[in-house]
Amino acid sequence: MLLSAVLWGPWLAALILALLPVPDARTAMAPASSLKPSETRSRLKGVAIALASGLLGLQVWLWQAVDIGAGGFQLAEFQTWLPGLGLNYSLAVDGLALPLLGLNALLTWIVVLSSDRTQVRPKLFYVLVFLIHGGIAGALLSQNLLLFLLFYELELIPVYLAIAVFGGPNRDLAAMKFLVYTAISGLILLGALVALGWVAGGAMPEFEFGAIQSAQIPLNLQLALAIALLIGFGIKTPLVPLHAWLPDTYVEASAPIAILLGGILAKLGSYGLFRFILQLLPEAWQVLSPYLAIWGAVCVLYGAIAAIAQKDIKRMVAYSSIGHMGYILLAGAAATPLAVTGGIVQMASHGLILAVLFDLVGIIEKKVGTRDLDVLNGLFNPVRGLPAIAAFLVVGGMASAGLPGLVGFVAEYLIFQGSISVFPIPTLVCIFGTGLTAVYFVILMNRTCFGKLDNFTSYYPQVTPNERVPAFLLTLLVVFFGLAPGNLTRWSEATAVQLVRPAPTATVSALVPMHIEVKR
Amino acid sequence: MNLLKETVWSIPIYSLVGALLSVLWFPSITKRTGPRPAGYVNLLLTLLAFAHSLGLLVTVWGQAPSVVDYPWLVVGDFRLSFPFLVSPLAAGAAVVVTGLNLLAQVYAIGYLEMDWGWARFFSLLGLFEGGMCALVFCQSLFFSYIILEILTLGTYLLVGVWYNQPLVVTGARDAFLTKRVGDLLLLMGVVALYPFTGTWNFDELAAWAARTDIDPQVMTWVGLGLLAWPVAKCAQLPFHLWLDEAMEGPLPSTILRNSVVVATGTWVLIQLYPVLALSPLVLQTAGVIGAATALGGALVAIAQIDIKRILSYLTSAYLGVVFVAVATGELNLARQSLLTYAVAMALLVMAVGAVVWNSRVQDVRWLGGLLRRRPISAVTFMVGGATLVGLPPLAGFGPLSGLLDAWAGQPGLVLWLGLVTIASTLALTRAFGLIFLGAPQQMTERSPEVHWPMILPMTVGVGVALNLPVMLWQWGFRPAWSPLAGVLPLAVGLGVGLGLVQYGESRQVWKVSPAWQEFFARDFYSSDLYRLTIVRLVAAFSQVLEWVDNRLVDGAGQAVGLLTLLSGDRLRYTTGGQAQWYVLTVVLGTAGLVAWVWWR
Repeated sequence: MLLSAVLWGPWLAALILALLPVPDARTAMAPASSLKPSETRSRLKGVAIALASGLLGLQVWLWQAVDIGAGGFQLAEFQTWLPGLGLNYSLAVDGLALPLLGLNALLTWIVVLSSDRTQVRPKLFYVLVFLIHGGIAGALLSQNLLLFLLFYELELIPVYLAIAVFGGPNRDLAAMKFLVYTAISGLILLGALVALGWVAGGAMPEFEFGAIQSAQIPLNLQLALAIALLIGFGIKTPLVPLHAWLPDTYVEASAPIAILLGGILAKLGSYGLFRFILQLLPEAWQVLSPYLAIWGAVCVLYGAIAAIAQKDIKRMVAYSSIGHMGYILLAGAAATPLAVTGGIVQMASHGLILAVLFDLVGIIEKKVGTRDLDVLNGLFNPVRGLPAIAAFLVVGGMASAGLPGLVGFVAEYLIFQGSISVFPIPTLVCIFGTGLTAVYFVILMNRTCFGKLDNFTSYYPQVTPNERVPAFLLTLLVVFFGLAPGNLTRWSEATAVQLVRPAPTATVSALVPMHIEVKR
Repeated sequence: MNLLKETVWSIPIYSLVGALLSVLWFPSITKRTGPRPAGYVNLLLTLLAFAHSLGLLVTVWGQAPSVVDYPWLVVGDFRLSFPFLVSPLAAGAAVVVTGLNLLAQVYAIGYLEMDWGWARFFSLLGLFEGGMCALVFCQSLFFSYIILEILTLGTYLLVGVWYNQPLVVTGARDAFLTKRVGDLLLLMGVVALYPFTGTWNFDELAAWAARTDIDPQVMTWVGLGLLAWPVAKCAQLPFHLWLDEAMEGPLPSTILRNSVVVATGTWVLIQLYPVLALSPLVLQTAGVIGAATALGGALVAIAQIDIKRILSYLTSAYLGVVFVAVATGELNLARQSLLTYAVAMALLVMAVGAVVWNSRVQDVRWLGGLLRRRPISAVTFMVGGATLVGLPPLAGFGPLSGLLDAWAGQPGLVLWLGLVTIASTLALTRAFGLIFLGAPQQMTERSPEVHWPMILPMTVGVGVALNLPVMLWQWGFRPAWSPLAGVLPLAVGLGVGLGLVQYGESRQVWKVSPAWQEFFARDFYSSDLYRLTIVRLVAAFSQVLEWVDNRLVDGAGQAVGLLTLLSGDRLRYTTGGQAQWYVLTVVLGTAGLVAWVWWR
């Protein structure tokens, strides 16, 4: 029941908001309403915050119900739906989905909290946000391949609308680009996952996750499926060179939508890599892993170097997120429990950090009116700049660059330590990549936070608590999980061990090479 | 008194609490009181930390080291905990760190009298003190790395306190990136080392190093990675540039940075010595780097006109001496010289800062004749300089004479240290002559001695420096009275003599060829070298990749889209209603199918 509540809660919330007898601002002049637009907004926001908080509370309940020590799927729910098709309503949660579910609820809450009175069409906005939340939750909880695909595709509709309605000047083009790329990803996945079901099932297709996991699939078929799935999820993640949709989409989407997009939606890609390839096709994954490690390193370098050349801070952050996906690929390729834990933590930590950065970039854009590195300057100024925002930006940027004491380091470090004995060279290249990450974040901070404010233009609007509080909370989480990483890692450890179980050589002992063990 | 030992973890915490509390007085949070309370709060907490570490030192004096462990991260079998090693050495180092920070903070209260950035500045000083106190007790390589990397961010922010000046911005950037390169090479070494050792505890690492038979080539690479970090932190060649640029930061932070922060690099180097010693090549590299930096830094210092930069190059130079000491295995002498070096450099920076503060100029050519007006600054400078270069009987003589004695069989090293001493003494004497001797210049006509918050730490520091030889003697660190130690006074005398002849009352400027002068004044053109090579390379490469990303990667997607549109456009005209066309298509299609079936 709990998982159903987690899954249907957001859909219900969206429905409540849609049916709420408060008009959307665009139609506020309708005669039935006696409310002023500002009252409409605050009332809508109140309801939305209450609903989002309820969903966040549900997460607390869920996290308490999960048994940390047990690795496998828990709290399973099963209901046959269309048996002829093999589509069942089958839900469960494990340490891979759990952090992402929490992140999903958290980011939704943050996005609702940071929305303000200038939000156009607030009702549509909130409804779309909750629909996105529901779609992602469904995809993360599904234990049936077809159910997963259903939610995976379903979530495209609200996201498309959210980009196309609330974005920047080129939003329609960006939304279309996003839709086309992701729909292609969905098509490839549809083909690959359906094929997987047929291959695993024998006479009747079998789309239940557990059944496929225990099925014996010949290696050449596994390889073909794995490559198709890699391309499908690679577009979503995104991995270089399948990332062409990302910069435009992230930049054109409004800040809250960009937070959802980069923070959690794109994580479905990396989630899929771990869930459907690493876990379902382990032999193929093992064959491919040396190439995947190299691919990961290439992504890291590519994202970082491309980010250095950017002049638009939002675009820079967007490219940074391409680089950070490379670490996850490396972690998966190494497939040691430590690295996989690191990879899962990296998904969550990157979601947090990207949310901080997009939130701050959004505030800067709103206040200063530009995202251009050549124009921005001196935001540290305590009187006329945006000192608190600049300070959070330093923390967020440093977290992204992997500075110890912040959450990004925990993930990256676990990945590096877990991968070094399996793929030393790609790991070292990735560490080198974190250095390049530092380069563009220093460029970003030097140009935006440092320097002299222009006396004639620097009359920026005050940053309201409405904007400062969400950024502060996210920053606090980034620091908290960085200082006390156990709170983040322990949820995924047991699952990480299970994820890599089929490859018997790569256990914990991979950390300490055998010949040294013997000598002690 | 065991309580002091059990609560050892709180020594770094005091100043971290101060750093956090300072945030309350950020100008954007508290407007009413101004930011000054932040300074007083930090001063108080540093005083507590100082008292605690002093008490600890007294308590553990003569005791065997003991370890206190705090778990941090446990992932399966992988366990990371923070070990505190409580030893007289660590406690002594904590006393030095907190004591110097105490002096620096009192000094800062005077120096930053008119500044509004107090809260940020003091909170960063607190962060540094906390980080360094944690580092001296830290017994784990991994946590040393973490602390140092956080301090790298601290350096960035501390150098950038006066963030609206262009030189500060570039200085902060270069300091951060240079140290970050070192940090990442260290991280590579740290991560690569673990699979072999299974531990990061320094003691266990030493034990491992004693029994391992690891492939020396692997160890060389790992060792070079580990070595890169101290090289970057201590501003050794080729990573020396940042310290020079960091001089743009506020001077009170320079007291702390040039005396102890940079010295943390050699502290970790000493801790890592057993591991580094596994590969002779690594030690040789450390020695060569240190030797080259010491001589080069001292020579460059002679050619500088900015008084802060003279000191920054001497900082690199004397840490280079410590590098050579470590490379030759003289760890105790290296530790001892870190202590004398820290005190000496703090004095020099404070004296120079006093001049900068109310003469309003850093260019030595504009100064002069200050000896009579500012005797305390002058004495501070003299004592600091004499301690630094090892003039007997001051404290620096102890470790440096010990090194000369230890290198008795290596005349090259003795000669090298002699040359370094001559050059450094010459640089210091030149600075002293240009600042304090001769006739007053434009900027020194009205230049009285500074006010008490700056005088107090200077006099206290001079007192400590003058008593240091006695203290060292009592602790059993005696100078080596061998004939070789005579090299030191000889070299110092030569340096002072040369300096006074050239830059004393007469203020002649040395005549050397302008090309050489420029070569040293511009620090071997190293900043230009970096700009033309690495910086340009990265920038060019990123531009190329940006083009590839825009044109090729994105272009491929766009091309597919365009192709779809165009082909759709074309195909549209095929549905013209002409029956022949349809029939032809059907026939062609059928033929193709038949051919395919046939061919299969």
